[in-house]
Amino acid sequence: MRGLKSLTAVADWQSWAVFRRNALVFLRHWRTAVIPPAMEPVIFFVAFGLGFSGYIETLEYRGVDINYATYVAAGLVAYTGFGTPYYEALYSAYFRMFYQKTWDGILATQVELPSVVWGEILWGAVRGMVNISIVSVVIAVFDLIGLVDVKAEFLILMPFLGFIAGCAFASFALIFTAIVPAIDHMNYPVFLIGWPLSLVSNTFFPVEPQSPALQALMQINPVYQLAETARGFLVLGDPGPHLLGLLGSTTLFLIPCTLLSVRLTRRRVLGD
Amino acid sequence: MTTAILEARGLTKSYADKIVVDRLDLSCRRGTVLGLLGPNGAGKTTTLRMLYGFVPPDAGSIHYAGKRFDEDRTEAKRSIGVCTQGDSLDYDFTVAQNLLIYASYFRPRVENLEGRVAELLDRFDLAEYADASPHVLSGGFVRRLLIARSIVHRPSVLFLDEPTTGLDPSARLDVWELIDSMRAEGLAIVLTTHYMDEAERLSDELLVIHEGRKVAQGEPHRVIDTVLGDHVIIVPRGEPAREEIAAWLQARGAEQVATVLGELRVPVTKQDLVELTARFTEATWQVRPPNLDDLFIALARRKGRFR
Ligand SMILES: Nc1ncnc2c1ncn2[C@@H]1O[C@H](COP(=O)(O)OP(=O)(O)OP(=O)(O)O)[C@@H](O)[C@H]1O
Ligand SMILES: [Mg+2]
Repeated sequence: MRGLKSLTAVADWQSWAVFRRNALVFLRHWRTAVIPPAMEPVIFFVAFGLGFSGYIETLEYRGVDINYATYVAAGLVAYTGFGTPYYEALYSAYFRMFYQKTWDGILATQVELPSVVWGEILWGAVRGMVNISIVSVVIAVFDLIGLVDVKAEFLILMPFLGFIAGCAFASFALIFTAIVPAIDHMNYPVFLIGWPLSLVSNTFFPVEPQSPALQALMQINPVYQLAETARGFLVLGDPGPHLLGLLGSTTLFLIPCTLLSVRLTRRRVLGD
Repeated sequence: MTTAILEARGLTKSYADKIVVDRLDLSCRRGTVLGLLGPNGAGKTTTLRMLYGFVPPDAGSIHYAGKRFDEDRTEAKRSIGVCTQGDSLDYDFTVAQNLLIYASYFRPRVENLEGRVAELLDRFDLAEYADASPHVLSGGFVRRLLIARSIVHRPSVLFLDEPTTGLDPSARLDVWELIDSMRAEGLAIVLTTHYMDEAERLSDELLVIHEGRKVAQGEPHRVIDTVLGDHVIIVPRGEPAREEIAAWLQARGAEQVATVLGELRVPVTKQDLVELTARFTEATWQVRPPNLDDLFIALARRKGRFR
């Protein structure tokens, strides 16, 4: 019962009030919030995509030959779509929760704990949309000058795909936010989970595991599904089965992660 | 006498097998202040947190305006204001924005919000800091902002958790004035404090708790009377008959013989005083009415005995 309420809280005005709060903070200092993180994928793109292009000329993608930079372009959408909400939920939420005690104030209003968690999830996902939009602009420019070859009209979809998967990534991160004993321990979810996950998901290179177990694991990995959906759209104009895969794997992540993060946060913040 | 807007019965809360609040009853009427008094760790914050819905009680019931709190928490919370013990301001926003953002956590929306915020900034002397970050505020002004924020949505019940702790004497008096004016406007206020004078002066009713349990309850001076009696005598450290007086009083059943910096403080009855005067004709001492300091010292002494 309480579990169901935690999930349906996404539709409550309270969740959107918390979301709005986070969005307003972002808008207050959007310059510092946008420019540095937007540079990261650009640097990756130049370093990996264009750097390796000299060594790896073409790659076969679902029967089509594409250059490596084009492969990486879609990978960057997934890399950004994962990293932005994941790190936002890890760090920003941690600061709001424990250092600033902002949540203690918010929870003394009509806003209940599941809404605070949803506010963070939704905001993380929208933050992902913002960064993906910037990455998409960069890709469009590279497409224009011929460094990559994508179906640019599909770039418009990228932020929305990112939003869907971003909800899963943010809710996943909030589990760690609720359990890390101190900020230094953030290194665990960052380096042991964040980094490997953003690399083995067909972002910068194709991963083709032989074992069926690993293959199945790939299918339920939303980062992989996001990369392949983005790539399907950008290269062929058709995501194939991956759009469904993205929706499925996101749901598979989002529901248990949200339930768990609400529960763990409740324990942490309310001592309950 | 109007009926209570807040009514709680049998409130109980444990953390890891330790009972922190134990079957507490309390109520508060409009336009009155209920002072919740107790030493550190007595369970004041936990009691407040249950009342405003931050933590669920293990047992007991809470009613607001006759309605069960857990029946429609969201509706009940619309009329509750909270000033937390710790600083829970939103440091991502300016002083004025803190009020605006806080109001956004309530529905129905606050009427004429801009006007309300301007009014509060003015009334709490925060206008000159309106566009500054709360980081620049001194402790006293942080507290003002926390209190202003807690009433931005025009609640009818207000919880103030140690509103004056850490403030200098003049800032404390300012907060007292604010609390008094909010009471005059008809708010029902529940306030926690360890300051005796504060509880005595601000509260219409006092609830003294110790280790989660009620020790005394009622009008402030009555509470002191019940727990301590009529007078307190103070025997200075230089008085030669000091030990003798202490022994005599103890033999008469005076329980709470306290020594503070070498001077003896003992709550006594009128009868005690008469006999004491007759018996120790040479000795000198002072007599004063008991205050809540005496009560706290007495409570601290009891602690050992309960264990
Ligand atoms: N979340 C929690 N988990 C475990 N123990 C807790 C929790 N919150 C409070 N306690 C314990 O409950 C007891 C009462 O705490 P509470 O904060 O209610 O006291 P208080 O009267 O407000 O004290 P103070 O005057 O120091 O603010 C303390 O022993 C405290 O350690
Ligand atoms: Mg307290």
